[in-house]
Amino acid sequence: MSHLQLHDLQLAQGGRTVLEHLEGTFEDGAITALIGANGAGKSTLIQAIMGMLTPIAGRIDCDIPRERRAWLPQELPLDLTFPMSVEELIMTGTWPSHGALKGYCGPHYRQARDVMSRLGISSLAHRPLGELSGGQRQRALLGRTLMQEAELLLLDEPFANVDRETVEVITQVLRDMAANGTTIIVVLHDLEQLARLADCVLVLADGHGRWSTPAELIERQHGHPMPQTKPILPFAFPDPS
Amino acid sequence: MLALLDSVFLIPFDYGFMKRALIASLALSLAAPPLGVFLMMRGMSLIGDAMAHAILPGVALGFLLAGFSLPMMSLGGVLSGLLVAGLAGSVSQMTGHREDSAMASFFLISLAAGVMLVSVCGSSVDLTHVLFGSILAVDTTALVLIAGMSSLIVILIAVMFRALVVECLDPLFLRGQGIKSGRVHGLFLGLVVLNLTAGFQTLGTLMAVGLMMLPATTARFWSKRLEGLIGIAIGVAIIASLGGLLLSYHLSLPSGPAIIMLAGIGYVLSALLGRHHSLLAKRRRTATPLEAQEPG
Repeated sequence: MSHLQLHDLQLAQGGRTVLEHLEGTFEDGAITALIGANGAGKSTLIQAIMGMLTPIAGRIDCDIPRERRAWLPQELPLDLTFPMSVEELIMTGTWPSHGALKGYCGPHYRQARDVMSRLGISSLAHRPLGELSGGQRQRALLGRTLMQEAELLLLDEPFANVDRETVEVITQVLRDMAANGTTIIVVLHDLEQLARLADCVLVLADGHGRWSTPAELIERQHGHPMPQTKPILPFAFPDPS
Repeated sequence: MLALLDSVFLIPFDYGFMKRALIASLALSLAAPPLGVFLMMRGMSLIGDAMAHAILPGVALGFLLAGFSLPMMSLGGVLSGLLVAGLAGSVSQMTGHREDSAMASFFLISLAAGVMLVSVCGSSVDLTHVLFGSILAVDTTALVLIAGMSSLIVILIAVMFRALVVECLDPLFLRGQGIKSGRVHGLFLGLVVLNLTAGFQTLGTLMAVGLMMLPATTARFWSKRLEGLIGIAIGVAIIASLGGLLLSYHLSLPSGPAIIMLAGIGYVLSALLGRHHSLLAKRRRTATPLEAQEPG
């Protein structure tokens, strides 16, 4: 039984239908890559899954509680001038489930130390957010979702503008989270990342969605000439003929 | 020496009006600075000033209906402040204009309306009282009201603390948990209005915001941590309140302006000599050698 299912879903933004007749099941513990051109509806679908956008028609069945859902958008409206350290940011992941008034206790601090160690940012624990590089910030934010013990994690291009080491760390952490049963949906544009990370793929184009596998997409891609050194996925459905 | 200290610091508080003024200003010093810190962190420092003007018409109406009745004037102030905050938010949402421009428009309208109401139906003395307060005229009823409102604000800040932090830092995280950031924002503005209403009797509508913002902006020069900012801001407000009242007593100065001026002096000194971002800190600025830095 999957925790997240889409049933004949229709989503709109500003009175314009962005996606319709979207069906599918996101497997528990699987990493699903969400791909599509700009404006194809990736962010719209993520907002709907997070409960921030009401569908026009159809429904999303998600029995994962809100406090176990996490979203890391690409452009996070994070106020970097806010006086908060990496450790404090990671600890905010306990807030949704731990409650608004209770203080932190020993296990929380131990868990935060473990999380920072897994992400390789233990030495940055007391560094202010404003002094972090893009990759360090991305790791810290992923640390917050680990503290949150997210059962559903949505990431929008988590590998954009981060260094190679961060890519390796994030890939490993996502793989571990999936192995522990977390349902992960990740927006990707990079074929190499898709091949390494995704278990299945949902391609969004022309207002519709089509389920695929990484192998199928890569095979299709190899049928075309490589336009760039770093291959970019085709965002239109291939001609059936 | 002891006699001198006694006459400077203790004897003034033998008087009942000084005791009440001290308690009122200490209560405000506990409630106002945390709100000021959050306003500052949200880049809304001037919104506090706008809200201070917004409560004026309500205070004036309360005064016209019930004379110098602090409960009525306070009720009017709270309602008027909330109305202006709500109208500014609604106009901003409906027209797409930035909230600060809508707020600026409404606070100017409120200020004009309030001054007109008091001028037409009261006297210049009344207007001065409403605009600049009269901390030494705080009676027991006013004191209970100020202490009650301040306590309520402190409790509500404690309850909302994490939501306020997340709303400042990462509103999307808050929305993801199903909490509408607009509600947190509205509640926070409500607390600002409540605090300004509590402060207008003692400092006046124009200067009540001083005890909120000056300690907060001063603290920014001394701490980079949120708890540090709030603690230092409260400390600055308490020292300014105590010092301002003593200055007012010994030098026959108006008490409200003395308190705010003292807080202002603290701000200027901190901007010059503070630990972070001050002129002195910038002159002394050095970098830790690479080998001494933490890896990562």
